[in-house]
Amino acid sequence: MDRELISLKLTTLRHTAPGMRPAGWVIGSLLAAATWAATFVAGSDDARHSILTLGLLFWGLGAAIGPVLMSGAGTLRPSWFALLPIPRRTLGRGLLVSVYVSIAAALVLVALLAVSLHAALLDPVTLVVAIPGALLTWVLVIALSRLVYGLLGAAMGSRIGIEIASIQFGLMFAGMFAGWIPVTIAIQRTPDLLATGITDPVVTSGLDMSPTSWSVLAVERAVRGDWGGALLLLGALALCAGAAIVAAVPLLVPSTSPRTRRRSGRRRSAGLVAGAGFLPRTQTGAVISKELRQWSRDGWRMVEVQSAVWGGVFIGALALTSEDLRVIAAFSGLFVAFMLGIAACTMYGQDGSAVWLDVVGQDETSVRSDVRGRQWGAVLVFLPKVLVVTALFVVLSQAWWAIPILLAALPALFGAASGAAVLVAAVGVSPGVDPRQRVGPNDAVGNISLHVWVVILLISIAVAPTAVMVALLAVSPSVWLAALTAVVGLANGFGAAWLLGRVTIGYLTARLPDLFSRIRYGQVFRDPATAGALDWFESTTLKGEQELKARQQKERADRVARSSAR
Amino acid sequence: MTPEPSTLNSAPPGGAVPALELAGLRREFADKVAVDSIDLRVPPGSFFGLVGPNGAGKTTALSMAVGLLRPSAGRALVHGVDVWADPTEAKRLLGVLPDGLALPERLTGGELLTFWGRFRRLPAQTVADRTAELLRILELEEAEALGTLVGEYSTGMRKKIGLATALLHSPRLLVLDEPYEAVDPVSARVLTAILRRFTDAGGSVIISSHVMSLVEQLCDRVAIIARGQVLADGTLDEVRGGGSLEDRFVELVGTTDLAEEDLAWIGS
Repeated sequence: MDRELISLKLTTLRHTAPGMRPAGWVIGSLLAAATWAATFVAGSDDARHSILTLGLLFWGLGAAIGPVLMSGAGTLRPSWFALLPIPRRTLGRGLLVSVYVSIAAALVLVALLAVSLHAALLDPVTLVVAIPGALLTWVLVIALSRLVYGLLGAAMGSRIGIEIASIQFGLMFAGMFAGWIPVTIAIQRTPDLLATGITDPVVTSGLDMSPTSWSVLAVERAVRGDWGGALLLLGALALCAGAAIVAAVPLLVPSTSPRTRRRSGRRRSAGLVAGAGFLPRTQTGAVISKELRQWSRDGWRMVEVQSAVWGGVFIGALALTSEDLRVIAAFSGLFVAFMLGIAACTMYGQDGSAVWLDVVGQDETSVRSDVRGRQWGAVLVFLPKVLVVTALFVVLSQAWWAIPILLAALPALFGAASGAAVLVAAVGVSPGVDPRQRVGPNDAVGNISLHVWVVILLISIAVAPTAVMVALLAVSPSVWLAALTAVVGLANGFGAAWLLGRVTIGYLTARLPDLFSRIRYGQVFRDPATAGALDWFESTTLKGEQELKARQQKERADRVARSSAR
Repeated sequence: MTPEPSTLNSAPPGGAVPALELAGLRREFADKVAVDSIDLRVPPGSFFGLVGPNGAGKTTALSMAVGLLRPSAGRALVHGVDVWADPTEAKRLLGVLPDGLALPERLTGGELLTFWGRFRRLPAQTVADRTAELLRILELEEAEALGTLVGEYSTGMRKKIGLATALLHSPRLLVLDEPYEAVDPVSARVLTAILRRFTDAGGSVIISSHVMSLVEQLCDRVAIIARGQVLADGTLDEVRGGGSLEDRFVELVGTTDLAEEDLAWIGS
């Protein structure tokens, strides 16, 4: 049974798009190599102890929460096996064993085995403790990862899962935009850590309490001749691993209890549905209220928003860690506002084939209402979050002088981002999996690498007037100039949103059925248009989608040919 | 068997402008001709059934008729208004229920109808009244009270809420792709009563289906479509020619016979 499940898992993985997995393997290999290298070059036994306990804790945490994002963890769904005549315990064991067979799990094991280097350097005899210790730690952290994954539901299945996925994406964004800050600090401090280890006894004893450190402690006890103590630690590790397995198995077998849904928080009566609310009872008001509900209830859209928020929070936090750069923290909210452009640049693709409503409901004003409603919807969703992040980090960084700049930059960025997003979303519509079939966190959009760059370019150009005013204000600060900058920022924001929205309305009025065709049929049934910038972007993004699809089809055909040749 | 196309195409009564007219409508996908220059006329006030096997081109033809898919050639006219030349006027007259497409999945049924009514620029009170009435008649009130989202609806419930969106603005022509699919018998009766009332009031309905008995029971005019071509078109009696619609359909479209040795293992 175990072999069949492992083989089924590997076959399923072969037939799914690799997504982020190859990048994860490369990063994982580098981190595993860094763990071994740091263990090797540590300046003393104490320093090596510190590095290992800290490193193994990070590996444990990474392994525990990583699968929420990695596609491999949920490959075999318990419900597939619900109707097979297999005892539940056998199935649970098979599914758990299959979790251990993966490249990611192998990389975790390689990293955890760094403790054997510690043993070899201290006393090679203690390898008999180090290797079982590393294996037990591995069993523990992988079972733990399945437990965490099962408890949270798949990343998109629950609110807390969405938040965890968003935190991880947010960390990734913060790493891309402000990762250089901790790297600089780490490079400055690494020689100390490598040479002397962690000198704070409270931190050291805290680290020693984590089960991931127990294999290191067991080795050190064995070196001191305390073999009984070493065995005791290994036994405790085995107990923890066993407990994690016992807790994880019930989550792996198909659930037989019915899913009950409670919607106590959702407003319902027909009166509320049809009448109330602060939005105008107009065509645009209808679109705004639909968009607000989609942004606040659709897991995929929520991840977009929350990733931006967490990205801003982490950028602010990273900036605060540096004495010289802490003023940057005050501008964290700008990152969140900018991310509106990236998050919303897929909004037509997010709707999937539901765009048919826009097509059959088309009247003289519907396209305008749809575009403006979507712009307002995105701004209203992001606005409170941007204000909270901005206020928080202005206070934490005490950079009060940043307020006039923020008063100009925030509206300018909001306007430019909402305009750029709706234009790119319409002209380069990139449908992912149609809404009802979505499962993974990346299902909602297709290939958007070009879109991101176009959004960045459009925003950069669109906020130019405000950028000039901010530069002037920085050179010669004055109250009047600050007030004028804020006015320019506000006008810039409204102007950019209006203009880019206007271009979108003009584009969609003539080509609404083509937008639907791209989503539904993956092609446009219109004679090749003239060579404008919008046409170039439309045809390039469409070609990108078609090439991606063709490549996937070819890969699938090759795989089928290979397996039939075997 | 490749039968000759029937030429039963009787003119609409009184020579009135057809509720829907497809003239030489054609669509290719790469090398495949999905709809092969078809001509169809749906007289006003009629209940028209479009039948055909899976992949016959029914959905493609209807998508072109309602403005969702650009035709390679030909025209689609709703009460004389060209869907592709004057889309806004044509779409005002049309109510559409497509098959297998998404809806705003994160709205409840009531929220969807409210959005749709306002998007169609109906007065707020009219939207509220019609939403409440449609939810009640289509038995979606309980789901609404529970706050069930459209994405959590069953297939039959999706059909019902889709029909409600098609009806909400009181169109003159309803184009419904597989409206009875997965709908329970009680709801199907309600659906039929609604559609009958609609045609009695002068509206026209075109439905696609591959359930012959249903089309026979409901429709006064029928077209059989296969391989992108109209094989027969006319009143129900003209098309079935004294036999059953299913016999006529099988005669025109062909059938796959199960030989004695095929699937012999079943039940062994």
